[in-house]
Amino acid sequence: MIRNKGKTWLTRLVAGAGGLLAAALSLGYSLYEQRESDLVRQVQANTSLEAGRWKVLVTGSRVSASTPDGLQISKGKRAILVNMILENISAESSNLYGTLIRIANMPDVPRPQYYLVRDRAILWDLQPRMPELVVAVWEFPETSQLPDVLKLQVEGERFKPRDNLYSAPGWFPAGAVATMSLPLKRDIADRAP
Amino acid sequence: MIRTALQILVMFSVAILLAALQATSPPYAMLTGPIRTTGQQRETVSSQTFSVKVRRVLKAKTIGFAQFGKRSQLQTSGVWMVVSAEVQAFQETMPVRAATLVGSSGRLYRQSRRAGAAANILSAKVVQPGLPTTGIFVFELPDDETGDMKLILSEQYDPQLKDEISVSLEANGMIAQNELEIGKDGV
Repeated sequence: MIRNKGKTWLTRLVAGAGGLLAAALSLGYSLYEQRESDLVRQVQANTSLEAGRWKVLVTGSRVSASTPDGLQISKGKRAILVNMILENISAESSNLYGTLIRIANMPDVPRPQYYLVRDRAILWDLQPRMPELVVAVWEFPETSQLPDVLKLQVEGERFKPRDNLYSAPGWFPAGAVATMSLPLKRDIADRAP
Repeated sequence: MIRTALQILVMFSVAILLAALQATSPPYAMLTGPIRTTGQQRETVSSQTFSVKVRRVLKAKTIGFAQFGKRSQLQTSGVWMVVSAEVQAFQETMPVRAATLVGSSGRLYRQSRRAGAAANILSAKVVQPGLPTTGIFVFELPDDETGDMKLILSEQYDPQLKDEISVSLEANGMIAQNELEIGKDGV
């Protein structure tokens, strides 16, 4: 009888300790994940970054009234131009660089248009292993406040040989790779908003 | 005792069988992939719906063509590969929009949109059945990828349950030049 009672007690103790251990592990893991996602590498401009499908080296940024193909931006707007060297390090030609770089310290950021410096024209596909000088252009209304220091975030991508839906190969978002701050040079004077 | 052991054994073997079945079942993307036909440069390669005969393979450092009446010349950090070919449709009117060159490293180079305004680009044409159509495909790739290449053609990129023709290009059949002019009739 006494022996049986001891066994019950031991079972309860083990079950309780196991439960507590599981809860602690789960809490610790979620805390660790939270911390990891908050820790994004800070880099200087002119640092070569690998972001899954792309290798990018941002060289500078400026405000301009014209796009790299020589056309004037429509009235009431101005553009932020970011110069970079972009290389496709995947195995396939691709034009999916639109979400690679994000302006982090401005609200309501539109999608950028990329230009190829070599042709002074809109950039289409980037061929693998052929780095090119490109310019990303974001257009903003003239009334919006532009910061003096631009904060850019480089978004990574991860390759999956088999995705979960069709078990087809593909690239999927993998969170931020790095952030950088670079001074925003002004070609044109600020007008009062 | 023997019964329990037998039960465990059966359970394990069923689990192994199921795992084997799962691992060997082809994925959806493969089941609905392209219907491939392969061939050599010197022959006409025919699939169910269309055929292709590669005529010339040219390599150049720069290419030039007339665009909106103005001459434009394109440079590259690698080389330009221009492939002229004849395509025939068998069953119905179809475009051949997708052309990819597989480089010697196995990387896939889609045709360059930079030269999209040149005359006689085959992917901008529509192929009518019974009317052989000629034209060119323009690619841009690093020089060390041009050793052993394959040309892959289909109606659209990433074809699903549609024909795809792959042609192995001969390395010694390539004509190299410094500057290539793409005229009204192609190359």
